[in-house]
Parts: sequence; structure tokens; C-alpha cells
Amino acid sequence: MQKVNIFKISLTAVTFFITLLLVLAIGSLFVVPSLEDIRQNIWNAEMRYSLKLSLVTGLISTVLVMLFALPVGYALSRFHFWGKGFVKTIIDMPIAFPELVLGLCLLLLFGNTPVGKLLSALGLTFVFTKKGIVAAQFFTALPYAIRIMKSTFDYINPRIEFVSRSLGYSMAETFKNISLPLAKNGILASTVISFARCIGTFGTVLILAGGSYMKTEILPITLYLNISYGNMGMALTSGIVLMVVSFIAIFIFEKTEVGL
Amino acid sequence: MMKRLLVIVVAVVCFSWASVGFAGDLMIFSGAGLIKPIEEMRANFANHHKVIVDVHYGSSGEIFAAVAAGQPCDVLIPGAEKYTEDALKNGWVIGDTIRTVVLHVPLIAVPKGNPANVKGFMDLVRPGVRVAIGDPKAPAIGRVARKMLKKAGIWDQATKNITVYAPTVNQLLIYVALKQVDAAIIWGDLVTWAEGKGKLEVIPIEKQYNIIKTIPTAVCTKAANKNLAHKFNEYIASDEGLRIWEKWGFEPCKK
Repeated sequence: MQKVNIFKISLTAVTFFITLLLVLAIGSLFVVPSLEDIRQNIWNAEMRYSLKLSLVTGLISTVLVMLFALPVGYALSRFHFWGKGFVKTIIDMPIAFPELVLGLCLLLLFGNTPVGKLLSALGLTFVFTKKGIVAAQFFTALPYAIRIMKSTFDYINPRIEFVSRSLGYSMAETFKNISLPLAKNGILASTVISFARCIGTFGTVLILAGGSYMKTEILPITLYLNISYGNMGMALTSGIVLMVVSFIAIFIFEKTEVGL
Repeated sequence: MMKRLLVIVVAVVCFSWASVGFAGDLMIFSGAGLIKPIEEMRANFANHHKVIVDVHYGSSGEIFAAVAAGQPCDVLIPGAEKYTEDALKNGWVIGDTIRTVVLHVPLIAVPKGNPANVKGFMDLVRPGVRVAIGDPKAPAIGRVARKMLKKAGIWDQATKNITVYAPTVNQLLIYVALKQVDAAIIWGDLVTWAEGKGKLEVIPIEKQYNIIKTIPTAVCTKAANKNLAHKFNEYIASDEGLRIWEKWGFEPCKK
């Protein structure tokens, strides 16, 4: 009996210890700058530019991510096809490797290759452009969205879909009228996490879009640029804005109660 | 069993704290572009004096701000003398310890084969030439690049050709090597390695346009171990030190 207690107490203690450290770390971001400083920084032209660009690119990227995550997540959850294991590994890979590597890969692909030249001819130039920011965010957030969508569809009992088909719906109609409404929470969670991931993408954007001041500057770049300018007030303010976005995202995510 | 686990956890936590407490006898702040020679000198110095030397590399603006914020620094080696002069004005470094060590010469780096046929500084404003420079507020090379373009009276035209203002110097190298830009203004010492490997070519900037900087080293006023800091400072500027600088493509000031 006593043994169980020590076990429980020590594990809970470790949990609280880590939580306390995190709370202190997050809290220090809010304690250091003065409110007046933050207010001024938020209305500063650079911050407004960066915030606006972050929101616009983040929204576009999230919509694109979801357009791909829904069909891919459904396919991975429901269908068995040749090469599925390989596909899953490749799609998950960007989660494991650093953003800088992903950025370098994309820079190489969209650079002086036939693929890059073809896209450029179509007006899709990704190197050093705002479109590049969207591309970088898209590839960084996509694997997370697909993972959440796949596990969402995994939890929906296929029997419900079979019943729908036996009552006359085609496969596509079942997807639209039965599976999608049932996956509502998962779609919300996936969208929110994708948006947070897009807003927070740094390394990929830095390499592919260049991270130029007031040109391809999004919030994490503002934070980084201002660290190198030595302007800590601005750096902290962008940190706080990013923190608020992730907090809201995680809060909504926890509410939807889907597993990763 | 559980007690033992607890003991291990506590031991690990204490140890990690202790190791932070004992970290480093000497703390150096250095411009990121100087990493190659400074690393070699750091290792030599640490071996010779049997001490631990830590170096924090960052853009000149960043390390300057770190000193301003009161972070512990014993020796300050930024990428341009302006930062040391400002630090002296604010009383952060000791005046008579300032040694100007080597020259920092900006030049134009172009991809192998020189696709845009850049021959000199004025070619940077030729329509269609894609140019990369450092962010004028972040690395020292960005500030120098803007100064040179302004001095030559072509800054406004040049901004039309500048496709990227890179926050870090290393990005400039990647973009040239991958042919994403036709030319980049960069420190000469940074391209010695890539040039040797045949990744890019180097175009000197004409004397009338060029602004050559010097790299200084100085002991900080708040240095914890002044004696050791002075020794390191002298070593950086010594004959042995200069040989290491030269090996990595820097030109000593004395010549």
C-alpha cells in the first residue's frame, strides 16, 4: 500500500515540477516587458505588417492543408492500396526532421530544377516570395493535419458507412453526408493545429522565402530579426503574440477531444 | 525501487544544475562569421591554459545587445569596429585592451560560371541581376553593403535588384551556391572555403566603392576573470593568433 503511494507521489511530483518550470518559462515572457512597451510595439509598422502577413499566409496555408489532409487522411484510414506503408512513412517524415532541412529541400526543388522552372512559368515562384511562405507553411503543417484526420476517421465505425451504402448512397455521397459530419470535431482540431503550426513555421520560411525585413517577414521572423537587431522589446512582443495564438489553438484542440 | 528512482531523478537534476554552475572559465562573444579562426584559437588556448572557454556566436547586433543586456561576457569580438567603439562609449569594454586584429574585406560572390556576368560593383544595378545582401540591421556585412551602395549613389537602383535581405550571413552563401541569386555582397573570408571547393567565384569590389572594416577584440569591463580575459585577448592579436586568422582567409592589419 505504502509503495503505491510513494510511486504515485513521486510521479505526480515530477509532473508538477515540469509544469512549474514551463509556467515559469512562459510567464517570464510576459513579466519582462512593460505593458506600455508591448502596446507601442504592437502598433509599430513592422509588427502590423508581420501580423497581417502571418494571418493572411496562415489562413491560405490552412485552407490548402485541409483540402489535402481530408482526402489523404480518409484514404490512409479506409483503403488498402499498394505502397501504403511507404506513403505513410514519407508523409510523416517532415514531422521528424528539422524545419531547416525541409526548407533546404524545398529551396532545392523550387530552385533551378525542371519542376521549379515549370512552376515559375505558371507564375508560381516560391523562392524569396510571399507564395514561398505559403508553400513552406503548407509542407510543414500538412503531416500534422493528415495524422489527425487519419486518426479521426479511424475512430468512426466503418459499419455506419456500410449501412449508408446499403441504403443507396454511393461511396462519395457517404463521405460527404455521413463521414464528414461525423468527423466534425476532428476537422476542427486539425484546422486549428494546422493554423497554429503555419503561424509558427520558422526555419522552412527562413530558407525558402528568405526572411527579408518587411518583405517576407512573418511573426517568427520578426522575433528572430529583432533578436539580431538587439531590439528585445519587439522580439518579446512577437513572442507573446505567437504564444497567445498557440494557447488559443491548444485550448480549442483540447475541447474537441481527439487523439493524435 | 521507487526510492531509488527518486534518488536518481534528484541526482540528475542536481547534477545538471551543478554543471551549469561550473560551466566555463572564460566567456567569449564573437561575430558568427569569425567562427573558423576563433574556434581554432579557443581550442589552442583551452589546451594550453587547461581552462574551459565558451564562445557564443551571433550576429554582431545580437552579441552587442547581449552585452547591453548585461549577459556575462569576458572578451567581445564583433564583426566590425563600430560595435566595439559603441561599447567603449557605454563603458562596457576597457579602452586600452582594444586591439584591431584583421581586415574584413567585402567582395562580390557569384555562382560558378558567373551566369549574370558580373564584373564589378556597378554591375549590381544592371537590370535583371538578382542580388542578395545581408539585412542592413542584423549582420555587420548587411550594414556595410548598404553603406557601400549608398556611397556609390546607387542604393535606390540597387534595391530594385535585391531579391533578399538575409538575416544571417550563412543564407547568403547558400543562395549563391544554389544559384538562387546572381551576386551577393559578402565578407571575403567567408567565401575562401566555398571558393576553394569550386562552388562559387569571387569578384573584387573596386577600391573607390569598397569599405574595408577591421575586426577588433577587447576585454569587457565586467569580465569575471580579468587576468585570463587579458591573456585570451592578447593571444587573439599575437603572431601565433594572426597565423591562424591568415589560414582562414583573413588579412592581418599590420601588413
